Amino acid sequence: MSQRKKATSASQNKTQRRSQLLLEEDEDANFSQITSSQAQRARENFTSDQIDHKVAEVVQFILIKDQKKIPIRRADIGKHVIKDYKHIYAEVMNRVCRTFEQVFGLKLVEIDLKQHIYILINKLEPIRGQTVSMHPGNPKMGLLFVILSVIFMKGGTIKENLVWNTLKKLRLDPGEKHDEFGDVKKVVTEEFVRQKYLEYGKIPHTEPVEYEFRWGLRAEKEVSKLKLLEFVGELFDQDPQNWTQQFREASTSGTSSQST
Amino acid sequence: MSDSRRRSRGNQEEPGGSTNGVGGQNRPERSGDVGDEDDIGGGPSGISQEDDDPSRRREIRSKYRDLINEVQQNREDMLNPANNKLTDVLEEANKLFANVRQAREAALDAQLLVLATDLGKEKASQLHAEGSSFDPSAFAEHLLSFMDLNRLEDESGTDGNLGGYLPGGAWLKLAKRAENCFRTAPAFHYMLGSFLAEPPPPRQRVERQRRVPSREEKRIMPTQLKKMEESHQEATEKEVERILGCLQRYFKDDSEEPISYYEFVIDPNSFSRTVENIFHMSFLIRDGLARMYLENGLPYIAPVEEGEIQPGGAAIRHQCVISISQESWREIIDAFDIKQALIPPP
Repeated sequence: MSQRKKATSASQNKTQRRSQLLLEEDEDANFSQITSSQAQRARENFTSDQIDHKVAEVVQFILIKDQKKIPIRRADIGKHVIKDYKHIYAEVMNRVCRTFEQVFGLKLVEIDLKQHIYILINKLEPIRGQTVSMHPGNPKMGLLFVILSVIFMKGGTIKENLVWNTLKKLRLDPGEKHDEFGDVKKVVTEEFVRQKYLEYGKIPHTEPVEYEFRWGLRAEKEVSKLKLLEFVGELFDQDPQNWTQQFREASTSGTSSQST
Repeated sequence: MSDSRRRSRGNQEEPGGSTNGVGGQNRPERSGDVGDEDDIGGGPSGISQEDDDPSRRREIRSKYRDLINEVQQNREDMLNPANNKLTDVLEEANKLFANVRQAREAALDAQLLVLATDLGKEKASQLHAEGSSFDPSAFAEHLLSFMDLNRLEDESGTDGNLGGYLPGGAWLKLAKRAENCFRTAPAFHYMLGSFLAEPPPPRQRVERQRRVPSREEKRIMPTQLKKMEESHQEATEKEVERILGCLQRYFKDDSEEPISYYEFVIDPNSFSRTVENIFHMSFLIRDGLARMYLENGLPYIAPVEEGEIQPGGAAIRHQCVISISQESWREIIDAFDIKQALIPPP
């Protein structure tokens, strides 16, 4: 009896969740199904002041959301800010992008075209040898740099053990609590993954299960492979061009990311 | 060389492992003579006594596990193009396999084979890489130098023994230098000086605060109790004195008129005050400050004059118990026609 009840409730949960997902997808789909004539008509319902206000709200929403570097979903923007303005979503977002580029020097990038996930990146090239830094800096970026470089230098995919071994050599034991990073394993496999700097997944057909790391979608957009290679070369006191394969990839991806 | 030999044997081995019950023919490369094996093939289980020897099988399995462990532990070393450990392991496994008769051992052999192929694949990928290869250990060493590792203790060279420590801002230094590889949108920060958001003040203080009052409470408790008793006693004494005052005043007013005990103690408005009066009255009598006498069967009271007090309590003392109930209280009020309390309520 109770088992059956459990089973039905579980299936209900599942259907509920599914319907919720469907709803979200519906909401998401709403954005793409809007025709230009619909948008035109909706446009007449709002004054330009109202639209300006909405644009400012979206900008603020994205700026705040970006503080934790967790990617922003289009569904969330729609649900929390756009609301009734969804018929003119495209126009609002265009103006949001323009504001970010012209006022903030930032760029709003859609990293996942299927699920519509956005991140903010800096449009301005960082200046080398910048002596006075405007912000206090975050030691986690050092940790992230190490992992990203090892992945990149090793051809794009590495087993997690290589990451842990390298970190151990840098006096970071993933099993121990670190003064600056806390739970290192959690930072690497959860925080960086949620921020889309890293991808962490099971390697198929492994027994016991093994995990591997790759660059996440954010890293692809935000990190300059060429600059990373230059720094690695500096550390090794070597010409980065000696790593022929990596150098080739870095120089091609550099141009492609700039054009996007 | 040994790699290719191994692989071909591995291919044969797998079907052999899965169809264990069918017979010995599928089993590859047996060291024992073939004729013997054919005989046993017709047996009920297809396994000879000698093949089923548990201790021997255990020994084989344990050796396999050791080998697998060794490969897993020394993975990075084995990947190094400059050594031949992988070949050694495969040769060792080949020797072990000669004695494998049953699926369980064969499964371990297969597991080792998976590991070995995996390593082989990675080794091969190293060969294909163009240009310089990238050595993560060397990378880590360079990073440590960049982060100003304090090499205090001399490192004995082994990887497990990590000597020295990183100075405080080491990771921040690396982060600052690595920053120019990132095109990160800056996060909010405080404009005037830094205000580092720190975790809330240590919990210790809260604990101390909690502990201190509890200790004080304990200290206060006994004194409080003492005071209460004292004040209670004092209240009784005061009340007794007040009643004595009343009695003496009535007596002075008219010393001829005897004071009826019941008229004196009964408060027609309150039974409880009546009981209290009786209680307090008993103190006066006990202490010899008032006396009680019977006239016509009714009790009367009078204060005892100063000179009358006989030291040593020479007077004959009597004890009696007065009981009163609400009912008798009302009866007395009616019988004596008491309208007003002689002892005013305090």
